[in-house]
Amino acid sequence: MILLETLSLTHVYDGRPVLKDVNLKINNGEVFALIGPTGAGKTTLLRLLDLLEIPTSGSICFNGVDITHSRRQRADTRRRLSFVQQKPIVFSMSVYDNVACGLRWRREKNETIRRKVDNALELVNLAENRNRTAKTLSGGETQRVAIARALVTEPELLFLDEPTANLDPVSTAKVEEVLAHVIQERKATIVMATHNMSQGQRLADRIGVLIAGKVLQIGSPNDIFCLPTNMEVAQFVGVENILKGVIVDKDDNLVTIQVNSSTLQAISDYEIGEAVYALIRPEDITFTLAKDKTSARNVFEGKITKIASVGPLVRIEVDCGFPLLGVITKRSAEELGLKVGGRIRASSKATAVHTIKRWT
Amino acid sequence: MIAIWQGFLKAIELIVMLDPEVLEITTRTLVISISSTIIASLMCLPLGSLIHFNNFRGKRTLINLIQTFYSVPTVAIGLIVFLLFSRSGPLGFMELLFTPQVMVIGQVILISPVILGLVIAALSGVDKAAYETAIAIGASQFQATTIVIREARYAIYSALILGFGRAISEVGLALMVGGNIRGYTRVMTTAISLETSKGDIVLSVALGIILISIALIINFSLSRLQQRWR
Amino acid sequence: MNKKFFKILPLLITIIVILSFLIGCAPPAPSVPQYPVHAAKARFKIATTTSLYDTGLWYYLEPMFEKYADVEMDIIYAGTGIALEYGRRGDVDAVVVHDPAAEAQFIAQGYGINQRYFAYNFFLIIGPPNDPAGIKGSTATEAFQKIYEAGMKDPDTVKFISRGDNSGTHSKEKLIWSKAGFKYADVEKSGKWYIEAGKGMGPTLQMANEQQAYVLADISTFLSYTKNTKATIVSLVEQDPVFLNVYAAIAINPDTTKVTNIDIAKKFINWLISTEIQDVIGSYGKAEYGRPLFFPLADGSCNIEGCPPSEKYTTPVP
Repeated sequence: MILLETLSLTHVYDGRPVLKDVNLKINNGEVFALIGPTGAGKTTLLRLLDLLEIPTSGSICFNGVDITHSRRQRADTRRRLSFVQQKPIVFSMSVYDNVACGLRWRREKNETIRRKVDNALELVNLAENRNRTAKTLSGGETQRVAIARALVTEPELLFLDEPTANLDPVSTAKVEEVLAHVIQERKATIVMATHNMSQGQRLADRIGVLIAGKVLQIGSPNDIFCLPTNMEVAQFVGVENILKGVIVDKDDNLVTIQVNSSTLQAISDYEIGEAVYALIRPEDITFTLAKDKTSARNVFEGKITKIASVGPLVRIEVDCGFPLLGVITKRSAEELGLKVGGRIRASSKATAVHTIKRWT
Repeated sequence: MIAIWQGFLKAIELIVMLDPEVLEITTRTLVISISSTIIASLMCLPLGSLIHFNNFRGKRTLINLIQTFYSVPTVAIGLIVFLLFSRSGPLGFMELLFTPQVMVIGQVILISPVILGLVIAALSGVDKAAYETAIAIGASQFQATTIVIREARYAIYSALILGFGRAISEVGLALMVGGNIRGYTRVMTTAISLETSKGDIVLSVALGIILISIALIINFSLSRLQQRWR
Repeated sequence: MNKKFFKILPLLITIIVILSFLIGCAPPAPSVPQYPVHAAKARFKIATTTSLYDTGLWYYLEPMFEKYADVEMDIIYAGTGIALEYGRRGDVDAVVVHDPAAEAQFIAQGYGINQRYFAYNFFLIIGPPNDPAGIKGSTATEAFQKIYEAGMKDPDTVKFISRGDNSGTHSKEKLIWSKAGFKYADVEKSGKWYIEAGKGMGPTLQMANEQQAYVLADISTFLSYTKNTKATIVSLVEQDPVFLNVYAAIAINPDTTKVTNIDIAKKFINWLISTEIQDVIGSYGKAEYGRPLFFPLADGSCNIEGCPPSEKYTTPVP
C-alpha cells in the first residue's frame, strides 16, 4: 500500500534546479533509504516530502490524496509526519521537556505525555538522562533525543536526514542500533537520507539513488549494489571497475565482451553488437599467482601498478591491458607476496560481471 | 571626597530614619520606572518578534533606525513630549503635562528603542533552525515563536533590565515634562539635580547612593530569579 | 491560526496597550498623598522664579495655601523666561516673577491678567572677599564699570557670572549695564571674564562661589545660600535704588490660553496680598538669618523709585 508518492517532483532554488522530475513511491511499513553524494538534493527532497516547502512543480500524494498545495491539508498532514534533522536542534530545557514539546503543543494530557515520553526515551536508551539539560548532551545523545522527540508523536512516516553523518563510529553504531530497534518495534515507515551506502544497505528495505537531483535507480540493496543500471550509480556505489566493451558473442545468456584486446564473459540479456559497460566490484576480483589454478572464467594476467592500504584491506591496481581494481585482506596480500611491479593473475566469475548499456 | 563620605553617612541616616520625603521620592521613582519598563516590554516583545520573524523591504533600515535611537538625548525626547502634551500642543486636552503619567509616557518612548532593538538582537541570536524545528515537530506559528523567545530569554531579560536602567537613571525628560514638583513629580534623579544646584551636595550624594543601591538590589534580585528559572 | 491575523496581532496588542494607558486604565497616579484624599482635588499649577524657590519660601507657603483653598498646589521651578512661556502655553495657572518689563509685555500681549505685587527686596552685587576689581562702596553702575574694565584686563582673576536665562535677575542685570552706558550685546561678547550660567539663582551663586566671581543676586537667595553652604563670596555693593526687586503674581488669562483654574488663581493672588499672609512673608527668615528675606508691600513701606502703585498691592482681584 502506497503511503507517500511523488509525481514529477521538481524544485528550483535561486534559479538552479535542485530536483528534477522525481518519481517515488514509499510503501507503508517499509524502510526506504535515499542515498547519494553530498549536494545531490537529498535534504531538499526530504524537506519537500515533509511538507516544509512547496515544490516548484510536480505533486505529492499522501494516502492517495494530492496534498501539494492546500495549506490546511499540508498542516494537517504534517502533524502525521516527523523529521529528524542532520544536526538536530534541542531546546534549552531538560531532555524530558524536549521530547514532550510536541505532545504539549498538541495539548495532550500530562499522564499521557509522561507515558509516551518515557516509552520513547526507553526506546532510544536515554531513560536515565531524562532530567539532564539537553544542551549538554553529546552529538550521538542529541541525535537520539531528536529521534525520541520525533517518535513520541507516533508519526505515520518518519524522515531522517543523514542521522549519523556528524557522529564518530561508536556513536554511529549506537544510533544505528537504536534505529534498528525502532524499525523492529514500531514497524514505522521510514525514509532515511544517507551518503553512507553500507548504512543504507544494512537498514533499508529499498534504496533510491539520487544523483544531481535525479533519481537514477530504485531497488533492493542487492539491486543497487550489484546490479547498478547506469554509470553514475555504479560509480557511486563503489563499482570501481567499469570497462568499455562490445558484445561479440552470445550463448544463451552467457555473453562474451570485447574489452580492448581481451575478452570477458558475463551473464547478460544484451545482444551481439551492443556497446556495454562491464562492471565488476573490486571485492569480486580474486588474485592468484601465475601458476595457481582457478575455476573462474575470466582470468587476466597483468602487472601490479599500485598497492594501497585501506583499513584492514588492501587495494590492488593491476594493468592487464585495461586497469582492474581488486580488494583483498592484508593477510592474503602478504601470503601472495604482492609487490608493485610484480606479475599477478586477476580473475572473476562471469556471474560477478554486470553489464549496462553504453551510449556511444 | 569628604562630601562622599558625608553623603554616605547622610544616606544611612535618611534610610534608618525612614525620612518620609526620601521614601516618597523613592517609591515614586520605582513606580514610574517599573511601569514604563513593563509597558514598553509589553509593546516591544510582540513588536520585536513581528519584525524579526518577517522579512520585508526596509527591514534592515528599520533596525538601523531603531538602533540610532538607543542613545537619543533624554532632553530631546523630553522637549518633544513637552511640546506634545503642553496645553497648547496637540495632546494638551489630556491635561497630562507636569503629571507622573506623562513621565511614564515619556520614559516608554525613551526606552522602547532600546528594548525593541535588543529584543530583535536577542531573537537573532537564536539558531534559525530552532523555529523550523518547532514547526517540524508540530508547533503552530505562535507556539514556535514562543519557543524561540524562550530560547532567547536571557538576552531578553538583559534588554528589559537595560531598559529599566535607562528609565530610572534619566533626568532630562523627567525634568522637562514632570516639572520636578515636590510631592507630585519629583523623582530621585530630579531631586539630586535640584539639591546639587542648590548647593546641598551632601544630600545629593546621599540620594545618589540610595539610588544606586536600589538599582543594585533590583538587578541583583532579578538575576537571582533568572538563575532560579534556569 | 490565520497567518494574517497572527501578523497583525502584535501590532494590535501594541495599540491596545497604548490606548488603554492613555485612557487611563493603566497604572494609577503614584503620588503619595499627605492626607486622605476624598475626591480628586484640583491641581493648581504655578511657575515661580527661582529666587523665591531657592529661599524655601514656597515650601513654607504651599501647605498653607493648599489648606486654605483645598487644592493640590504644584510649584514649578523656572526662570522668568520659561515661566512666562509656560503661562503663554497655558501649562500653568499663574506665574510669580520679578521682571517688570517682561511682565508688562506679557500682560500687553493678553496672556496675563490680575497682576498684583506682593513682596519686594533688593539685589546686591556679590563677589570674592578680596574684591580684585575694587567695587566695594561704589554705586551699582560704577561697580559694573569697574568689573568690566578689570575683567577685560585680567579675565582670569576678575570674572562675572550672569544668570544668562532671561530671568528677572538677568533683566535687572541688563538694566544696570545699560544704565552704566554699555550695550548689553557688546558686554556679552566682550571676553571670557563674562560667564553666562544659564541656571537658576541658587546654582548661579554656587558657580560664582566656585569661580570666586562677581554676581548679581537677590538678597534672599544669597542669605539662604550662604547659610546652607560654606560659601566665601560676600556682599560688596548693597545700597542703590536700581537694586529694587519687586515680586509679582500674575494669573493666566483663560480667554487667550487653555487654563481652567482661573478662580483658584484669583484666590491665590488675593491670598498673597491679604494682611495675614503679608505678615507671614514679612517675618519669613527673620529668626534664621537675623533679617527678613522679603518685605511685604501691604504695609506701604516701599517708597523708593520703582515701587508699584498702591492699588497694585492692596486691591484684591475681582
